[in-house]
Amino acid sequence: MSTITAYKCTNCGHVMYPRHSRCLNCNERNFEEIEPEGRAKLLTYTIINELPWGIDERGRVLGVVEFENGVKALGLIKSEKVKLGMKLDASMTPVRVIGGEQVLGLTLS
Amino acid sequence: MRPVVIAGVGMIPFERRDEDSLVDMLSLAGLRAMDDAGIGEHPIEAVYVGNMASGLFNHQVSVASSVVDRLNLMPAAADRIENGPASGGSAVKNGFLAVASGYCDAVLVIGGEKMREVIGPRATDIVACMTHPNAEYIYGITLPGMAGMFAQLYMEKYGITREHLALVSIKNQANGILNPYAHIHMNITMEGILTHPQSHINNPVVAEPLHLYDCCPVSDGAAAVLLTTEELAASLGKPVVEIAGVAQATDTHTLQEREDPTDLKAVTIASQKAFAMAGMDPADIDVAELHDAFTILEIAESEHAGFFEKGEAAEAIKAGETKIGGRLPINPSGGLKARGHPVGATGVAQIVELVWQLRGEAGERQVEGATNGFSLNFGGFGNNVLAFVLRRQS
Repeated sequence: MSTITAYKCTNCGHVMYPRHSRCLNCNERNFEEIEPEGRAKLLTYTIINELPWGIDERGRVLGVVEFENGVKALGLIKSEKVKLGMKLDASMTPVRVIGGEQVLGLTLS
Repeated sequence: MRPVVIAGVGMIPFERRDEDSLVDMLSLAGLRAMDDAGIGEHPIEAVYVGNMASGLFNHQVSVASSVVDRLNLMPAAADRIENGPASGGSAVKNGFLAVASGYCDAVLVIGGEKMREVIGPRATDIVACMTHPNAEYIYGITLPGMAGMFAQLYMEKYGITREHLALVSIKNQANGILNPYAHIHMNITMEGILTHPQSHINNPVVAEPLHLYDCCPVSDGAAAVLLTTEELAASLGKPVVEIAGVAQATDTHTLQEREDPTDLKAVTIASQKAFAMAGMDPADIDVAELHDAFTILEIAESEHAGFFEKGEAAEAIKAGETKIGGRLPINPSGGLKARGHPVGATGVAQIVELVWQLRGEAGERQVEGATNGFSLNFGGFGNNVLAFVLRRQS
């Protein structure tokens, strides 16, 4: 997996992530699979000190970003300074170990 | 639909209850509601148990079947209702529908959760299981984290400060001292949680911008209501409190797919529908129990439910309008902040508090002359919300 898969409605063009069975805008059931494109703008974020069992760290930064083609997603933010509106570049890195396996997730730096 | 009244309420103190199993707690709360109603040997036809995650917290499922067995209510129908943090509200709604439709005359609704069986980070993980598995959970998002992302936007948009959040916390903790069922009985001060240079020792960051005292504790507890018809209630002799309005609304699973992530649409819609059903509007409400799992939510919910214009609740809190004795007391019970938030119990506990308030049985935290009450049970991160309007009949 090189990146996340988002969905573009074949009827109205509405971009969705994660997946839905019917378009959130027009109820169409067919979608084109698309990838996030361009740089990602940070819409909101939080710095979590009390993380769930299995993540042995403090101060993990998570945020919602919007890509240039309209894909919006939550991701792991790896940046020394964090500011609303800042532009970030996306990659996929291990974000959590679940059931003994590394899970890759959207990472923004 | 025929009117549905709350004939009995019961609750056990919310706290860490190592001695009790989940079924012990549910059964005890249920018995208290039955005794409060004075239902005696009258048959209870259905039991709805609101519970989010007994399978994960307690390694036990089918808890509703266990509860009817424990209470010797067989052959009553029994269902566990799972709807995240709105499990309690959903259970009450199901009980309401059973009586309103004429299908049942007497229904017992119990909400409960036993969370302290697991260590804190485990509880955080179990609660986070309500987030989207691929789009949220894998990143280590927590519910305080969701609330933190919401708070960033809401605070910036409406000029809400950490002082406003702290005022919510201080008010609810002060109310909780007056509630013998509350988990936390501790007075806190602005100095201790915000203004003293070392306040961060007491009040560390959980998920920016939210600190410890912006978040509800992790609690064990249960609460119950006995729902019945006006006719049966009249024969029982308690002051009659009617469920005048009940409504539920949903929103997208993830925050990022909402057109405006600061707009809690499900809160607005559920509240408006509940008020319409009751033939009331927010100005008719004397006391409200809102879902302050995080301080920012009490502010945002009070605006979305229609008690304040958007952006005006924070200053109203500063002016003391939401204290007991103020224009609209919010969370006289102490709310989730002080009473605690055993997840499946909360929606039921809110209604128990309103019934006590509307009957004039709330002791030191009584809102004088309260006739109409409102509760809001906020599930997921606002993706599944229930609103209730209660009215004391004269």
